[in-house]
Amino acid sequence: MPSFSRGFHGRPRHPDVDPSRVPPGQYVVDDFPVLSAGPTPRVSTDDWSFAIQGAVDATASWTWAELNALPQETFTVDIHCVTKWTKLGTTWTGVSVDTLLEGVATEAEYVSVWADGGYTTNVPLEDLSDGKAWVVHTYEGEPLEPAHGGPARLLVPHLYFWKSAKWVRGLTLTVADEPGFWEAAGYHNYGDPWREQRYWSD
Amino acid sequence: MSTADPDGLTLDGNAIAGMLAEVFNGAEMTGASRVCASCGQRHAIGEHRLYRGAGLVLRCPGCGDVGLLIVEGDGWREVRMWGAWSVRVPAPPA
Amino acid sequence: MIAAPRVLWRTATVLELVDETPHARTLVLDVPDWPGHAAGQHVDVRLTAEDGYQAQRSYSVASAPEDPRVALTVERIDDGEVSPYLAGELEAGDTFEVRGPIGGHFTWRAADGGPLLLVAGGSGLVPLMAMLRHRMRVGSRADARLLLSARERDALLYRDELEQLAAAGDGLSITYTLTRAQPEGWTGYARRVDAPMLEAVGPAASVQPRVFVCGPTPFVESVADHLIALGHPAAAIHTERFGPTGG
Repeated sequence: MPSFSRGFHGRPRHPDVDPSRVPPGQYVVDDFPVLSAGPTPRVSTDDWSFAIQGAVDATASWTWAELNALPQETFTVDIHCVTKWTKLGTTWTGVSVDTLLEGVATEAEYVSVWADGGYTTNVPLEDLSDGKAWVVHTYEGEPLEPAHGGPARLLVPHLYFWKSAKWVRGLTLTVADEPGFWEAAGYHNYGDPWREQRYWSD
Repeated sequence: MSTADPDGLTLDGNAIAGMLAEVFNGAEMTGASRVCASCGQRHAIGEHRLYRGAGLVLRCPGCGDVGLLIVEGDGWREVRMWGAWSVRVPAPPA
Repeated sequence: MIAAPRVLWRTATVLELVDETPHARTLVLDVPDWPGHAAGQHVDVRLTAEDGYQAQRSYSVASAPEDPRVALTVERIDDGEVSPYLAGELEAGDTFEVRGPIGGHFTWRAADGGPLLLVAGGSGLVPLMAMLRHRMRVGSRADARLLLSARERDALLYRDELEQLAAAGDGLSITYTLTRAQPEGWTGYARRVDAPMLEAVGPAASVQPRVFVCGPTPFVESVADHLIALGHPAAAIHTERFGPTGG
């Protein structure tokens, strides 16, 4: 164990935070770190669309205007990144995935989420349902910045934040579970922060 | 040769050369090279674009394809590599 | 091709601190068993807090290989985690860990010869300064041109030393561009580095200079694009990108 450097403290930690809000192994941050597996795509909302496809009876898709015409929700959640930072009380506006799944007939149990830039992640369909996930376009009252996933990202706050795919463009419903970018790289297939499911071996 | 990076968030292989040297037994990694499996171009590891996501990603400066992924756990690193890498690694003394 | 020593963490002790500008400080270090370095290499710095929390950043070695003391120049980023400590709180006698020297692709030895084109954005000057200090120490007369971009004159690192180096008449020329604010009577460049500026500074692509570009990523990407457009082969352009915040 290296000796410590006098006077170095690192970013301020938050000892007075309600520990029941902080999953094991996490620390609370005030800033919003930007992490990415690749370059930030630049997509105009004029060209943007979102689709639900795959093991469905019929593909459903929305333009930007159509997405924004759907019922919107504004809500506040805590988010947890597998790199150990947790940010409490983040406020988002977007469309519940339940709304998007309305009328989608499927036997599929899994979803492959895909995004501009080629990023993918996989989530069980039930983890995107019943109020657990949204496609969000607004963060803290402002349009979501490209670095944080704008124009729109998926938000699945009950799982590690790598599942909340930035620059999301669609959900492909699948019969078999298909590991996405980080799942195939060694991270956990499901990613529950409360059971500290960070890596495939956890 | 440029990537669209208005945020200036990306670095290059130089930034993880220390860690790569640990992975490769002390090898000088920035000058090691890789022939990309997608575009066929050869670039020094120091010129590959580095992204920090849940893990580390090195991408080909020619086409953006992933050349290296490193996921770090507690006491281990999982390394995946694509393309034809050429690395000169110091050999332990006989 | 440099044979790398085993990459170990060593404990460095701060010998001296030198304020370079209001925002940047040089740390002169004693590193036991330092294996020596080549100009352009960097070290990884690791700080450990009393509770065990660790942070790590990379800093280019500013000193020439001929200098027995290892010097790093750190620019303080206001909301950074590490640089406000290194360029602020840190005192002589304090210690932290360093790993290195690291790098081979972004290095220059006088034996490599010239012509040499060095393009620096802000603190990207640090590794290039090690190259120029090395060049001076060994008495190289290789054609070397430094194009240095900074926001304003007060942000220029090593100002006096650069003037001395340029006045030596040994084949080094230095061109400055101040992009945000210029002092009264300034006759130098006052815009971002572009192709006409690079062409004017030279050397021409036809003489096949070795090129080193260092600074924030957008700067490096832009300069590299201009150089390619001017005909410099990609293989002759060595780049090192610094984070925008540095930390």
